[in-house]
Amino acid sequence: MRFLVVDDSSTMRRIVINTLNKLGQHECLEAGNGREGLEKLQQGPVDMIITDWNMPEMTGIEFIRAVRGMDGFASVPVLMVTTNAAKDDIVEALRAGVNNYVVKPFTPDTIKEKIDAVLTAK
Amino acid sequence: MSEALVTKLVEATHEVFETMVFQTLDQGEPLPDAQGAPKSNVVGTVGFAGSASGLVAFYSTLDAAKAITGAMLGMEPGEVNGEIPDAIGEITNMIAGSFRTKMATEGDAWAISVPTVTMGSDFYIKPFSNGRRILLPFRMNDNDVYVELILTKQR
Ligand SMILES: [Mg+2]
Repeated sequence: MRFLVVDDSSTMRRIVINTLNKLGQHECLEAGNGREGLEKLQQGPVDMIITDWNMPEMTGIEFIRAVRGMDGFASVPVLMVTTNAAKDDIVEALRAGVNNYVVKPFTPDTIKEKIDAVLTAK
Repeated sequence: MSEALVTKLVEATHEVFETMVFQTLDQGEPLPDAQGAPKSNVVGTVGFAGSASGLVAFYSTLDAAKAITGAMLGMEPGEVNGEIPDAIGEITNMIAGSFRTKMATEGDAWAISVPTVTMGSDFYIKPFSNGRRILLPFRMNDNDVYVELILTKQR
C-alpha cells in the first residue's frame, strides 16, 4: 500500500514513517506542506493520507479540502495528526473531510492503533 | 498573569516530554518577569494571537537538545546533528499547540504560528516593553530546559 505523509516537521514525518514501517508498510511518500502534498498526488493514487494541520504555504485543512475535490480522491482515508484538538477544531477537520484524528503529543501505541484502525476500516 | 495560563502551559510541557521524549521532567520554581535568563544555545518560539497574544519559547543547551532529538527519533544522542532545529521546533510547536487546546477549554481562542528555531551561543529573547513574561524552569536528568510565556495582550 502507498501512503502520503504530509508535515512541515521532518522529525514528525520520520516518527510517522517509522510507525508505518513497524506496521509492515514501506511505501511512503513525503511532503512538507499541503501544496507539496497535492504535487505528490499528481503522481498517482495513495491508499491513505496522514497529514499535519499547522503548516506554512498550505495548511492541512486547505490541503484536505483540495484533495476531496480531486477526481479519485473523494474516499481516500485521511488521518490528521495535530495539536489542534479544541471542539471547534475537530468539527472543522471533520467538515473538511478528515476521517480520523490523532492528537499531538501522542504515545507510540496511540499512533499505531489509529493507523491500524483506519487501515482495518478500509 | 492568570493561574490557568501557567498551569496549562506546565501540563502541556509535561505531556509533550512524557509521550514524545520519554522523559519525566522535574519542575522548578517559576521566575516572573525574566528574573533569570536561562543558559541556552537552542531556542524555539511559537507565536499565538487571538483572545490573548504572545509567544511560547523553549530554551535548551545543545546537550539537552541532542538528548531530546535522539529520544524522539530513536537515535543515540551522539549520532544526532542536523536534526536538532527541526526536532526542537516540533517540541515547541507541540507545547504551544497543546497549550492552545487546553486554553480553549477556558474560553480562549488563538491561532498559532509555525515554529522558529535559533541556534547559537548563549542568548535570550530581549524584554518586551509592553509584555509580561514568566519563565518556567524544568530539569531533565542532568540538563536544565526552560519554557517561557510572554504575553503581549491579555484577555
Ligand atoms: Mg506542523
